[in-house]
Amino acid sequence: MNGEQDMAHDTTHDAQLRAHCTADADGRITFELPALEASDLQPAQLLLRLRPKKGKPEDTLRVLPLEAVDDGGRRAVLEPQPPLTEGRWDVYLLPEPGAPRQRLRPGLRDLRALVDGHTRNWPSPVAVRVPYTTKDGYLAVRTWLRTAQAEVEGIDVTDRSMTVKARLHGATLAEGAVVRLRARGANGAVRTREPQAESAGQRFSFTVDFEELINADTTGNRVWDISVQTGSAEGAPLIRVGRLFDDLADRKEIFVYPSAMLGGVAVSPYYTVDNDLSVEVTTAD
Amino acid sequence: MKISFLIHNAYGIGGTITTTFNLAQALAARHDVEIVSVLRHRERPNFTLDPRVSLRPLVDLRKEKDHPLHLRPARVFPAAEYRYEQYSELTDQRIGECLAATDADVVIGTRPGLNVHLALQAPRHVIRIGQEHLTLDNHSPSLRTTLRQAYRHLDVLTTVTEADAAAYRRKMWLPGVRVAALANSVPDPVLPAADGRAKVVVAAGRLVPVKRYDLLVEAFARVAAEHPDWQLRIYGKGEEHARLRQLIQSLGLCDSVFLMGAAAPMEAEWVKGSIGAAASNFEPFGMTIVEAMRCGLPVVSTDCPHGPGEIIKDGVDGRLVPVGDREALADALLELVGDDERRRRMGRTAMENARRFAPVPVVEQAERLIGEAISARRAGRPVAPERDRIHRALISRGFAARDAAHAAAGSALRAVRRGQR
Repeated sequence: MNGEQDMAHDTTHDAQLRAHCTADADGRITFELPALEASDLQPAQLLLRLRPKKGKPEDTLRVLPLEAVDDGGRRAVLEPQPPLTEGRWDVYLLPEPGAPRQRLRPGLRDLRALVDGHTRNWPSPVAVRVPYTTKDGYLAVRTWLRTAQAEVEGIDVTDRSMTVKARLHGATLAEGAVVRLRARGANGAVRTREPQAESAGQRFSFTVDFEELINADTTGNRVWDISVQTGSAEGAPLIRVGRLFDDLADRKEIFVYPSAMLGGVAVSPYYTVDNDLSVEVTTAD
Repeated sequence: MKISFLIHNAYGIGGTITTTFNLAQALAARHDVEIVSVLRHRERPNFTLDPRVSLRPLVDLRKEKDHPLHLRPARVFPAAEYRYEQYSELTDQRIGECLAATDADVVIGTRPGLNVHLALQAPRHVIRIGQEHLTLDNHSPSLRTTLRQAYRHLDVLTTVTEADAAAYRRKMWLPGVRVAALANSVPDPVLPAADGRAKVVVAAGRLVPVKRYDLLVEAFARVAAEHPDWQLRIYGKGEEHARLRQLIQSLGLCDSVFLMGAAAPMEAEWVKGSIGAAASNFEPFGMTIVEAMRCGLPVVSTDCPHGPGEIIKDGVDGRLVPVGDREALADALLELVGDDERRRRMGRTAMENARRFAPVPVVEQAERLIGEAISARRAGRPVAPERDRIHRALISRGFAARDAAHAAAGSALRAVRRGQR
């Protein structure tokens, strides 16, 4: 039912099923479907499938009962526990045992409870779920599952540096903590910065000097990933710096920062497709 | 009763399509309703259409783009119309045939050029209703001159605001034609209303210069300075995107103001906010203002012609500020951002007051107008009684002469320019 030609037989635009969903602040997601054509006695289910990497089989599934509700529709509730593996989960209807699954389109996604997620305290492990619409128009759930999170609260970009304010969730800064910038690729250079800690080892800030990144790696174009190591001890956990606590599954095109130009080299902080913070260094041609 | 809408292209995206679908669907509860789309360029409409409303195209561009008649300019569809270039002898022919053969009791045109077709070509027994979604003052003098002649053959002419209806009554002498405002309707929201707690201001619309998002971003800089925990989200896409992004960056608002891209439907996005904003220089109606209010948001808007002032009651369910006044816009936003109780109260009032734009009251007004037209026809009298006939004729004659002169000057100028090529 993907192609335009196939849709020619449909009487309306909405021949495919749409599911409304409501996200709660604690991670619960309630899916609501209209009444199904099959008898209400059929034990319909909602299937969540972790999208496998290309060429890999799908092996992580979550199945939820679809209960009939008073208005004739169906409802499935994804409880906060247990958490979902990090990734992208596609949403399907299993109308009855043995019947082929049907991928669901999004209806209204009521995500208002997620908007101010950054104002709350997230304990470890940090589990985030954001329902979203895929590029090809289907309903999916973006999930993150991390021991701890360094949540960006603001970035101030000048023409030679950037200062990042962040807050730790599920961890605290200890003596000897460092912010670590690592160039992607084999044997990527590493640079460290000392974080300026604020309140109770949770809020901190750090400044990245762009010139230092340019000089640290002269191989041309590089992407630097930013993490924070919470203590000096060997094996102290490395926590990625990023922004996960709101209603946006993909912030790359929405949170956009200016590039700094230093002698023909552009330095651009940006959020990756995983909403983590990185810095791209690009030599102009 | 059978009601037929005639629309430019039901398969695109835009305010006229949304509001026509809304009205058609609401009428379908009691009537047999069809939408005739002059053009079609894709398989399905972008907006979901209630299956009770039938939809049929007249010219399928996917197959008939190169039809010999489609390559020849239209002769019935007026040359001064905005979309003239998209019309042709083929559309003239198909629209003419469609109207001649219609089994509808009422045909409703949805743009000036189609209203002209309707006025000139609908059979005598059919009730002819022309809808204007744009405004008279924004039409070119030559289009106004064309419409002044043609619209006399309509039974009813609807505008989306009272202000525009008044302009038609004053500047066009349309004896016997009932000129009335018929607001755009916004469907009942499905989600619970916004509760006024979110620290988010929401705006939505195409990113084009007339919407003045630049002014809104500049005004919001003051809000972000005083209340750094508030954000502005602008939904929509368009030619201003790059310029707005640059403005946001130059004002240091990268963590406060966001260009969110297009969202349809907007309902789930409105309820994430607690204030709506509109900074337009011109707004024929102001659909997004009504949408926001129906979701429980008070809206801060410029008091531009024509819509906002007829939708928002200043200080009661929103705020109206002078057009282009950045400081006044910032003041009004700050007033609502800084007063939680006032903001919530206004939001609740906005939701109450915007109910008059729900499909039911709007469709009742449409049915009233249709009913009046039908009983007038049966009684063999004009739909609108003629008052002050001579006085009105005289006033409108002045506007007619001015438009005709401008139109003539305009076409002379074009002829000169053509000669210079």
